[in-house]
Amino acid sequence: MRFNLGFFLGEAVKNLRLNLLMSITAVTTTFICILVFGLGLLVSAHIQSIIGSVREDVSVEAFMPEASSQEVDSLASKVESWPEVASVTKVSEEQAFAEFKDKYEDQPDLYEDLDQGVFPASVQIQLTDPDNANDVAGRLKQEGFTERNLSYPQQTIDRLNSVTSYVSWGLYGATLLFLVASVLLISNAIRLSIFARRKEIEVMKLVGASDGFVRTPFVFEGLLQAFVGASLAAFAVIWINLLFVDWSHNALPYVPISSGAVNAFSTLILLIVVGVIIGVIGSFLSVTRFLKKI
Amino acid sequence: MAGSLEGDFESNSEVSDGRQTTRGDVMIRFDNVTKVYGNDTVALERVNLGIDSGEFVFLVGASGSGKSTIVRLILKEMEPSAGSIYVNGTRLSSVPRRRIPRLRRDIGCVFQDFKLLPNKTVAENVAYAMEVTGQKRRTIRTKVPQILDLVGLSGKMEKFPDMLSGGEQQRVSIARAFVSQPPILVADEPTGNLDPTTSVGIMQLLHRINRTGTTVLVATHDREMVDVMRKRVVALEEGRLVRDKVKGAYADEV
Repeated sequence: MRFNLGFFLGEAVKNLRLNLLMSITAVTTTFICILVFGLGLLVSAHIQSIIGSVREDVSVEAFMPEASSQEVDSLASKVESWPEVASVTKVSEEQAFAEFKDKYEDQPDLYEDLDQGVFPASVQIQLTDPDNANDVAGRLKQEGFTERNLSYPQQTIDRLNSVTSYVSWGLYGATLLFLVASVLLISNAIRLSIFARRKEIEVMKLVGASDGFVRTPFVFEGLLQAFVGASLAAFAVIWINLLFVDWSHNALPYVPISSGAVNAFSTLILLIVVGVIIGVIGSFLSVTRFLKKI
Repeated sequence: MAGSLEGDFESNSEVSDGRQTTRGDVMIRFDNVTKVYGNDTVALERVNLGIDSGEFVFLVGASGSGKSTIVRLILKEMEPSAGSIYVNGTRLSSVPRRRIPRLRRDIGCVFQDFKLLPNKTVAENVAYAMEVTGQKRRTIRTKVPQILDLVGLSGKMEKFPDMLSGGEQQRVSIARAFVSQPPILVADEPTGNLDPTTSVGIMQLLHRINRTGTTVLVATHDREMVDVMRKRVVALEEGRLVRDKVKGAYADEV
């Protein structure tokens, strides 16, 4: 038998119109599932991005009190050749003092009485991977630096790493639960709509319709419902994200929340695709289960 | 409408070629069929029955005598507890579940409660039976008005079933059963919900369909109808076949 797409789509649309209430139920269910799932994605994306930017800030600072500028230069060029190092910035005594003055501009009494030499020259080392901070610090110690003259936030890094992995696993778990719940909810909504039409399906079978022939319009119906619900939810998620980023810039200026953490287009596509897949699986399962019974 | 049915359908070789079996072949055969519901409700007991191609047979008996059970067994809606059933040369127990739809396309069926799809118009209801078999849209578009004209409903194509009278709904269901020209047409109490005058029209329609070569089996307890038609009558009583008479009446002496 040839596959008549027009016929099945037409049947699906007609059913949607005639069973408006059931369709609204299924669309709403999909909407809520995808909205919750999408918000989960948002939270996850922002947390990942914040963690990422905090970790990026991690650098190792080596202070060199009373060192000549040649010594600073030679250390900088040596460190620059290490594989773990992304970039090296030299900070002279004058620069360190100027930075301090900049930072406390409005409290001049803090630095008015200070000599320039109070702040030691330093080399700031940006790492390619924050996990390497310990190794770099160890190498610097071989170069004669003591723990006192090094600043590398080891504990912060360790804590961040563990938090990152907990948060990631938690989010993966929650996402999985949401997806399972979505399939169940949607297949339940569709089961209701099938139950409301069981007589119709029985008649179709009596007239000689194969399981596939009966099933296909229902699956298309589930697909269309899921598409509508998921699209609405996806746009809502994007809109909520914009509002949140806007709000956070005013309310949480020190938290590095960036609008770049969420790619609107790919999120939109992902949510819609996930919704449609859930709808198709849900409706397929529930019709198949019903067809097996008669 | 009267009389036009045979001509139209016999000349339409496109569909009927290869489908029509010659008169005399056994179309439906029950060999020692027993059907027990649950543990002890015997619906049919050792029924032997043969219906030839092209026959018109009444299946009569009181409610609960097993008429509907025979119809449902022919449609393979359920399995017999014992014995075997052959329909159009196929042994039903050898038909796997997924082949049932194909089997049912060879059997047009008409029910007491019409079993029309409420969300579809008259034309769509008839068309559905053709869509199921994957027929071309063009064929459907020409055949559906033809057959609705034949059953006298050409003016009600776009009406929904609940806008029609019982007799009209039954005509739709007969049109649907016959539109693909199955070799067998089975009707379970087709006039059960209809008044006597309307019933006569329905029976005439079934008779005319029979004259195109289709085997027709009508389960009924409509005494008058059976007596008027003078066709083969198979009588059931509490699941047993008690009488089988050519040109019989509802209550012939045994």
